Amino acid sequence: MTDELVISGLEVSIGSKKILKGLDLTVRQGEVHALMGPNGSGKTSLAYTLMGHPDYTVDAGTVSWRGQDLLGLTPDKRAQMGVFLAFQYPSAIPGVTVASFLRNIYNAIHHPKQPDASGETSIKYTGIPLAKFRKLMEEKMALLRMDPAFATRYVNEGFSGGEKKRLEMLQMAILSPSMAVLDETDSGLDIDALKNVAEGINASLSPDMGVLLITHYQRMLNYVKPQFVHVLLDGRVVMSGGEELSHQLEANGYDWVRDQVGLPAGVGDEASAPEPVAQH
Amino acid sequence: MTLTQPSTALDAETIARIGELSDEPDWLCNLRQRWWERATQTPPPTGQEEEWRRTSLDALPRDASLLTDAPLLETHLPADAAEAGVILTDLRTAVREHPELVAKHLGVSDGPASHGHFWALAHAAWTGGLFCHVPRGVSVDGTLVARHVIPRSDVAYHPVSLVIAEEGSSVTLLEEIVSPDGGSAGWFGGISDVRAGRDARVRYATLQQLGDAAWRIGAERVVVGPDATVTTLNAEIGSAVTKLGLDVVMDGKGGTSKVLGLLAAGDDQQIDINTVQDLAADHTTSDLLYLSALYDRAHASFYGITNVRHGTRQTSSYQECRNLLLSPQAGAEPIPVLEIEANDILRCGHGATAGAIDPTTLFYAQTRGLSADEAERMIVRGFFEQVVAQISDETIRSRIIDALAVRIGTDSSDEVAA
Ligand SMILES: Nc1ncnc2c1ncn2[C@@H]1O[C@H](COP(=O)(O)OP(=O)(O)OP(=O)(O)O)[C@@H](O)[C@H]1O
Ligand SMILES: [Mg+2]
Repeated sequence: MTDELVISGLEVSIGSKKILKGLDLTVRQGEVHALMGPNGSGKTSLAYTLMGHPDYTVDAGTVSWRGQDLLGLTPDKRAQMGVFLAFQYPSAIPGVTVASFLRNIYNAIHHPKQPDASGETSIKYTGIPLAKFRKLMEEKMALLRMDPAFATRYVNEGFSGGEKKRLEMLQMAILSPSMAVLDETDSGLDIDALKNVAEGINASLSPDMGVLLITHYQRMLNYVKPQFVHVLLDGRVVMSGGEELSHQLEANGYDWVRDQVGLPAGVGDEASAPEPVAQH
Repeated sequence: MTLTQPSTALDAETIARIGELSDEPDWLCNLRQRWWERATQTPPPTGQEEEWRRTSLDALPRDASLLTDAPLLETHLPADAAEAGVILTDLRTAVREHPELVAKHLGVSDGPASHGHFWALAHAAWTGGLFCHVPRGVSVDGTLVARHVIPRSDVAYHPVSLVIAEEGSSVTLLEEIVSPDGGSAGWFGGISDVRAGRDARVRYATLQQLGDAAWRIGAERVVVGPDATVTTLNAEIGSAVTKLGLDVVMDGKGGTSKVLGLLAAGDDQQIDINTVQDLAADHTTSDLLYLSALYDRAHASFYGITNVRHGTRQTSSYQECRNLLLSPQAGAEPIPVLEIEANDILRCGHGATAGAIDPTTLFYAQTRGLSADEAERMIVRGFFEQVVAQISDETIRSRIIDALAVRIGTDSSDEVAA
């Protein structure tokens, strides 16, 4: 089996609301794919579903990674198989410093606790030596041009939007996943930060890493070059192409896509969904 | 009376025999009798009182036999502190070795009003306790540690802890309370009487790890003198039922108090805390922060009064109580009460929350490779850090972290501040 993420016929709902309606997408290792689509079209829902968010119900379809089914696994198992998601809205974890969080997650991925013969986790377990970890962290922070002071702050607590995105990239750099989904990592970044983060992504990219880059903007794609661009509309990938597709989208908007694929204007766009009639 | 003879409810005769048994001086026997009278005149709570509506005393093991042969308090007193005249010892030893000092300070003040009966009872029926005295101007560098080890689960024990920091002194004290799990219910009625004189610095932490059948009916009164700074920490981990009344009296101009609490409970544990921040002098500051993590069917009530006294000026106070519910059956009821009788205040505020871990935060940590349990442990440990980070004494901090870890399930590799 080749090293690829294969999403096939994926149907997902949240509560009674159907969000993905038969989505197909394949990302091979070494490839960068961009996924674009209007607000509310389900990009984050797809990302969450890939990682196993409990609120999202998979009604049909399959997701496999390196030939193994992902959908039956808990999020941590998916992460341990090398799948990573950079969140559009990363969560804060008050009281947990960035340094200790990074060390914990590094250990979870690269030095998982090994149950001993009795089934108990060995009490001697310590994971990566502290000094070695510090070196790794400082190296990666320098790469992303992050102020070392971030190491002692609590995870995402009081971080600006751009700082949160950088911390997502720092986590990716430290975990070195083989399949990364980046959900609007470029949103909220200033021009320099965008360049910086893109450099970080490029530095983390390796020939055996697959990337699914969710974005609204062409500008990120100037730095991180995708081989494939897909459009998510009405719960499906309705159009795929090369890098040029992102330019066409930038120029023509999503109504052009709807027109091309024969969808009525406004479909698949949360912003233009019919509003309930106001009661007052 | 044999040492562990079952006594039915305490009576005047039993109180008299406690004194005889250890050959106590007359002043002490008389003191016990006076407090026994107070105890009978101040009836136990009926459950109608605002502070007692959330904890029923019906199942309090009133008939548990009185522990009259309690092991001596285990203490650690840094050598330089002993040389400087600091006393840290079992209250029984202190009565023999420092009778004048003990007579001067023991049983001279009233405790929290809501716990008046139990405050009186302990002064009458104490059979062990802690005596800590820091002379004027003496500053202790290291950490004083005292440990009550109660050998059996099924006894009644009402130790009195007296902590006196004289003018301009400075001290850090950790008091631990442990008893074995299992067995029949026992009654731990320990009380603490803490006084910080003018300009004194006191850090006083209690770590309660009673066995799972214990009833802790405790009371603590902290008096903060002029320009004194006091930090108290109550870490409540053990017991079946904990009912604690804590009064912090800002008695002198310019005093500062930080009132911290860490509660970690599971199974069917019940915790009920009543605090009073009594802002009785000008320019005083009192900030309270209680955090609880509640597992299984555990329940915590928190009834906190901030009383800004009439005529005081420029006081500043805050009380915050946050509860993390780690099971759908766990519950918390934080009730802040602000009684503001003064016009000229700097600040008087409160905050109270109770809720589960945000599922997306849990998911976020899980997507980084942590199992649901590991992620939860990390989030709970981080939650407690808001108080833990304020414990400046390293000995105390690491003892508290270890004690919390037993409930949270963390180990040193999960340490959040590494
Ligand atoms: N917890 C939820 N409850 C109800 N509806 C939800 C929930 N989460 C997402 N949705 C809905 O699902 C749809 C898809 O949302 P999603 O976040 O996946 O969109 P998106 O493509 O990532 O949008 P954006 O570009 O704005 O980030 C939206 O209509 C959204 O309102
Ligand atoms: Mg989104």
